[in-house]
Amino acid sequence: MAVLFGTLGWRPQSLIPSIRSTEGLERLTFYHSDHAKSRAARARIVEFCRSLGLPATAVELGDAFDLLRIAERIRADVRRERAAGALVRFNIAGGTRLMSSAALLVCILEGIPATYVHDDTLEEVPLPLLRISYGERLTPRQREILALLVKDRERSHTETSLAKALGLHKATMNHHIRELEAKGALVRERDPRDRRALLVRAAPGIELLLG
Amino acid sequence: MATFGFDERRVLPALRLLPYDRLVLLGGRDSFRAPGFGRLKSLEPSLQAVTVDPFDFGSCLTAACRAFHDARPGDVRASVSGGTKILADATLLAAFQEGVEAWYFDPEPVRLPVLRGVRIHDVLGPADQTVAAILTGPMTAETVLAAAGRRGVGRAHGRRALRRLRAEGFLEARLEGGVPVLRPSPLLKAYRVHLGEAPKG
Repeated sequence: MAVLFGTLGWRPQSLIPSIRSTEGLERLTFYHSDHAKSRAARARIVEFCRSLGLPATAVELGDAFDLLRIAERIRADVRRERAAGALVRFNIAGGTRLMSSAALLVCILEGIPATYVHDDTLEEVPLPLLRISYGERLTPRQREILALLVKDRERSHTETSLAKALGLHKATMNHHIRELEAKGALVRERDPRDRRALLVRAAPGIELLLG
Repeated sequence: MATFGFDERRVLPALRLLPYDRLVLLGGRDSFRAPGFGRLKSLEPSLQAVTVDPFDFGSCLTAACRAFHDARPGDVRASVSGGTKILADATLLAAFQEGVEAWYFDPEPVRLPVLRGVRIHDVLGPADQTVAAILTGPMTAETVLAAAGRRGVGRAHGRRALRRLRAEGFLEARLEGGVPVLRPSPLLKAYRVHLGEAPKG
C-alpha cells in the first residue's frame, strides 16, 4: 500500500504528476494554506482524485509559516501511516517555503523518498536525501539534558542548576553542554540580569530533531 | 550565504540580523543583471556572486554544497529568503545535510533546526568514502576492492564499506553475464560534491 503526501500551493500541477506516477497508490494526504488560491487548488486536486477513485485528505494549515507546527503535524501523520504498514513518499514542490522546508526536514529525519516537480516541464525530480537520525547521535545523558531543557523552556537554566537538577558534577555538565552546543542542540547566552552568568537553552526546534 | 532573486530587500534583513565577514549570493544569471543586484553590490562591494540555474534542483544543490565547503572553516550561515523556491529548497537541503544554520525572513526571522554533527561525513566513515570515490562507473566488486586496497583500505573494510553503501542506497548491484556489477546510484552521483573533499568545519 502506497500513500503519497504533498505540500500544495496555488498550482495543482505541482502535485498531479506524483499522483499519476506513484505505483499502487491507495491514498493521498496533502497540506495547504487557508489562502483563497490554495483552497481553489485543493478543490482541483480533490476533484482529480475523485475522478481516479482515490481517497484524498486535505489538511488546511492554520499558519502556513509556522515551521515547527507544520513539521510536527506532518511527522505525526507520516508515522501513523508507516505504523499501518504503508509505503510513504512525499512531493514537496508546492506550498509556502516553510511548508516545503518542514516537509523536507521530516523526509530527512524519517528517511522518506521525496520528489520535486519542475515548474515548466512538470517532470518529477527525485531529491537526493540521506536519512539523518539526529537522536541516535546523542548519548543517553545528552538526551536527558535536552529533555529537561525542552520541558523547562520557560525557565532559565545555568550549568550549575542543570548539574544540580540531574545530580551531575559541574565539570561533567560543562563537558556535555559544550558537546551539545557543538551539535547545535543548545545555545548559551549571557544572563541579562547577571553578566557573569551564562544561561543554557534548548535550540529552537530541537524537539523535532529528537523525535 | 544568501539565495538571491531580483529583489535585494529579501536579502537585507539577513544582512542586518546575521553577523558576517563575507557574503556569498547564489542566484540565476538574470538575477545578477538586475538592478536589485547592483544596489546590493553598492552596499557590499566585496560580495561574491555564484551563478546557478535557479530552476534546476541539482545545480542549486551542488552550488550550495560547494559554497558551504569553500566558506569553511568557520561559521557559515544561510539565508533562504530570496530567489526561486527551488533554489531556496536546494540550499536548505544542503544546509541540513552539511549542518549549516539556515534562516528564513518573511520579514520575521525564523531559524531552521540545525542538524549539526550529523553531516554526511559523520554518516559515512573514511573507508566508505574512499570506496564511494572509487565507484565512478560500472565495475566488479573485485576491481573496487583492489583499487581500495591501493588506497590503504583492507579487503574486510572494503567489503563492509560496499555493504554499507548499498544499504544507504549509494550503489546498485546487478548480475551481468553471471558476474555481479556495481554501479553508483543517482544518489551517489548527487552526493559527489559532499564526498569530494574532506570535511573542514
